[in-house]
Amino acid sequence: MSRFEDLVDREGLTSEEEARLRRVHDLLVQAGPPPDLPPALERPPSAPAEGELVQFPLLPRRRWPFVAVAAATLVALAFGGGYLIGHAKNKATPFATKFVVPMHGPHALALIRVAPRDAAGNWPMELEVNNLPRQKVRGDYYELWLTRHGKAIVRCGAFRVNERTTTVRLSVPYDFGKFKGWVVTRQTATHHEPGPIVLTT
Amino acid sequence: MHLVTSDGDLIQRAADGDRSAFEDLYQRYARPVFGLALRRLGDRGRAEDAVQETFASIWRSASSYRPDRGPGAPWLYAVARNAIVDRARVRNEIPSEIPDEAGSEPGPSDRAEQGWVAWRVHRALEELPEREREVLALAYWSGLSQSEVAEFLGIPLGTVKTRTRAALAKLSEILGDEIE
Repeated sequence: MSRFEDLVDREGLTSEEEARLRRVHDLLVQAGPPPDLPPALERPPSAPAEGELVQFPLLPRRRWPFVAVAAATLVALAFGGGYLIGHAKNKATPFATKFVVPMHGPHALALIRVAPRDAAGNWPMELEVNNLPRQKVRGDYYELWLTRHGKAIVRCGAFRVNERTTTVRLSVPYDFGKFKGWVVTRQTATHHEPGPIVLTT
Repeated sequence: MHLVTSDGDLIQRAADGDRSAFEDLYQRYARPVFGLALRRLGDRGRAEDAVQETFASIWRSASSYRPDRGPGAPWLYAVARNAIVDRARVRNEIPSEIPDEAGSEPGPSDRAEQGWVAWRVHRALEELPEREREVLALAYWSGLSQSEVAEFLGIPLGTVKTRTRAALAKLSEILGDEIE
């Protein structure tokens, strides 16, 4: 480590100025070098998802503005918190979003982007989850469900996670109006009934 | 005169939902938070998670910041510390900062002081122009002499000294009371 005298040209400095620079020098030495940011943290949080934000259960039309504000807050939290950093790199192709459903858990967040229903009656969906623990056991997985009265009723698709942010494409033919919410459960390779809930709307 | 928007102002704007303010905070503090988390958790992956949780907490709780109780940096430091400690607890592990037994190493209060100094200094470095930050990094932490720094950067030795002095002067402004 170089000495202050070796690093700084002191010509023209008042004693007070020199004392302040010396103090900064000492603090730099004390602090040590700042760490290199890993690539995942280099970018600031990305832009919010496009599409209309909704919350389950689907509500009468007149209440949607209030719901949208609440849902937007949740999504802003997700993006603002940096939870969804890197989502863009995981998206294979653009997804025509009709509405977006935010989900949350103790240590994880997710968005369900729902595309317009196709001619056959299917709802293409893109589920983006962040911070769910990676499965340690081969065959374990997560499952997305539609719920009614707090119970997981119908399956919407299973998936595993790898990176911090995982995006999967799913499709369901259900009438969303008959359900009250969504959950994601943790499943094991040998137990396929609804497991512990890790994300909910 | 240091005219950069204060941390406190950015926190208050973030509390009102201003994303650009939040992103400015991220630019200023991502590296200090990562450094703090890395020092305490001892693992880059977990430190990355702690950074994300810290900024989630900042976004969630920005409205709880009270400017009349102090500037933004200590508040952000407290939020980061809490997030990092929570991250350690999630794994049922003890933060690496807490010593297991007495020894010749610095005690918790010394370490806390050192953590706070690094936090402030690393955050202040983020405000320097790249060319000045680069000179400081090479001069202080690369082991190169000033002449070697000049050769490495392809600039005159005098320019290295000028930039070093200018950078220290700016840091003294940014750090303010810290250096009194």
